[in-house]
Amino acid sequence: MTASANFLRVNAARKSFGQVLVLGGVDLAMPRGELVSLLGPSGCGKTTLLRIIAGLLAADGGTVRLDDRDITTVPPHKRDVGVVFQSYALFPHLTVAENVAFGLAARGRPKSETAKTVARFLDLIHLSDFAGRSVRMLSGGQQQRVAVARALAVQPKLLLLDEPFSALDRKLRETMQIELKRLLRELAITAVFVTHDQDEALVMSDRIAVMNQGCIEQIAHPLTIYRRPATPFVLGFVGLSSRIDGRIAAQSGGEVAIDTAYGRIAARANFAPGTRAIVAVRPERLRIGGDGLANSIAVRFQDLAFQGSKALLHFDAGPSEQILVETADLAADSLKAGAEVTLSWAVEDTLVYPGPGEGAPS
Amino acid sequence: MTTAADNSTRPQRDWTAMLTVPAVAYLAVIYLMPLVWLLTKSVSGPDGFSIEPFMHFFSDPYSWRVMTNTVTIAVGVTLVCLIVGYPVAFALAWSRGIVQAALLVAIILPLSIGVVVKAFAWQIVLRRDGIVSQILVGLGIWSEPQRLLFTETGLILGAANVFLPFMILPIYSVLKLIDPHLREAGATLGASPLYTFRHIVLPLTLPGAVSGIAFVFSMSVSMFVIPSLLIGDRFQTLSTLTGRSFLLMRDERLGSTTAVVLLAIAVAIVLASTWISRRLGGRS
Repeated sequence: MTASANFLRVNAARKSFGQVLVLGGVDLAMPRGELVSLLGPSGCGKTTLLRIIAGLLAADGGTVRLDDRDITTVPPHKRDVGVVFQSYALFPHLTVAENVAFGLAARGRPKSETAKTVARFLDLIHLSDFAGRSVRMLSGGQQQRVAVARALAVQPKLLLLDEPFSALDRKLRETMQIELKRLLRELAITAVFVTHDQDEALVMSDRIAVMNQGCIEQIAHPLTIYRRPATPFVLGFVGLSSRIDGRIAAQSGGEVAIDTAYGRIAARANFAPGTRAIVAVRPERLRIGGDGLANSIAVRFQDLAFQGSKALLHFDAGPSEQILVETADLAADSLKAGAEVTLSWAVEDTLVYPGPGEGAPS
Repeated sequence: MTTAADNSTRPQRDWTAMLTVPAVAYLAVIYLMPLVWLLTKSVSGPDGFSIEPFMHFFSDPYSWRVMTNTVTIAVGVTLVCLIVGYPVAFALAWSRGIVQAALLVAIILPLSIGVVVKAFAWQIVLRRDGIVSQILVGLGIWSEPQRLLFTETGLILGAANVFLPFMILPIYSVLKLIDPHLREAGATLGASPLYTFRHIVLPLTLPGAVSGIAFVFSMSVSMFVIPSLLIGDRFQTLSTLTGRSFLLMRDERLGSTTAVVLLAIAVAIVLASTWISRRLGGRS
């Protein structure tokens, strides 16, 4: 089996509800065994895309191919695409084991084989002792595991998960994320995971597709998404950042110099001189003090948000700007409001985006 | 029933049960007292307590015909309501906005029209040259026009028309509570729409269907006005016979006997359906 990059291939998927464009021609390609998150705010079209892949919703245009088969018009029950619903959608009149067995029974698998598969999956989710219980008697976390086992028991080609952790409390959610990721890895499942929670996406995914207003803004490895966000939206949606307005002063050999209210800043980018730009840096990349790093600015300390293992320092900035520093050095809390501080960072940590009203980088 | 003394050791008395006092008082006067009178009457002979009226009733073949009539008609009405009403409940639950509102009005509004008014409409529809007869002849199902009025079929059709909402609404209310994702979950697990219906939707709607059946059956087993208007004296049911005994024949003994038999049938239905619902509910 070649690691085809096109195990799942969504081409130019479009969908409108009435006058509202929900999906504006989305492309998505995934190799076998990959776990991709669709991350975005509510209303960005991520669930719509998921439902189109599952066949629960007909797209207005575009195609869906899975394992070299065009499934665009194939009804959901013939697609071999499993879904874990946000509400879990467990069958309330059936027991835990009957829920897990449902798909196998519907496909007419022999009883002995079904029983064996059910036992194996109940064991995988550590619910063997609950086989005969009504699903209504289970806790939220247990129900969620049954929903996953039920979807996996039929060994679908592709598993879709629609915000499967949103109903769980934070602590349980973190445990379940790790547990589910391990299970999906073990079974080599290809999965698409819808979430609005960036931490969840960062933890779970091989790649994250950040969606906004019916388009995928960027699809990349979580580290790339965080370190090198492709658009200001991705920058703002995933993680925190310091942002300063500026104007390109000079460009040469893949480097630009940007004039800002805090002085000149250097970055690796290609922009025509004169264009307005937004300069951004991740908060943990900023150092307090000179340190001999290429870029440095002098700013006034405003206040501090203590977060346990780390602290976020806020500095005075312009109305559309924001200057944040994340530090684990808690001596920083000795800073007085209004104190002047020098912040510095490396050129390669400097992100540049076209300013308001400017086109994409040349 | 908890009394005030039961709660005397508790810091706070629970007065919630008091909310039922008006209803209990009302039912005691309007319902319970006449019922007790009726029950007493049915087991009292000239020399005090006697079950002789029941012995006499059950030994008369005519009584059995009346009971058979009653149950047959009730079963027929219930079946027609179930067959017609079950799909309608789905249409009502799955439609949206104006269509749903229109359906709901179409189902509820006829309840506000009196049975007598409806009966006259049916007389027009069901007579020999009525529209039903004409359609059936037109379709070639009947070779010549026939009268449906004053027949058992006419009675079943007419009564089903009146009781249909009582079948639709309980099924609809159960359907509305079913997570719409359940059907989608069935589909994504590889179940055909028919399999999903058979194994998910149908079992989950059964409690609604059982209460609909209980409603319609208990109402049609005891209906009085509709058979009087649609079929007349030729065909007697337990309630028309009860009515005749009291109003025409002035035979209070026969009247109270038939009334008690009817009551027993109705109570049996309610108990049986509650039991079935519990069992279904326990599983679901």
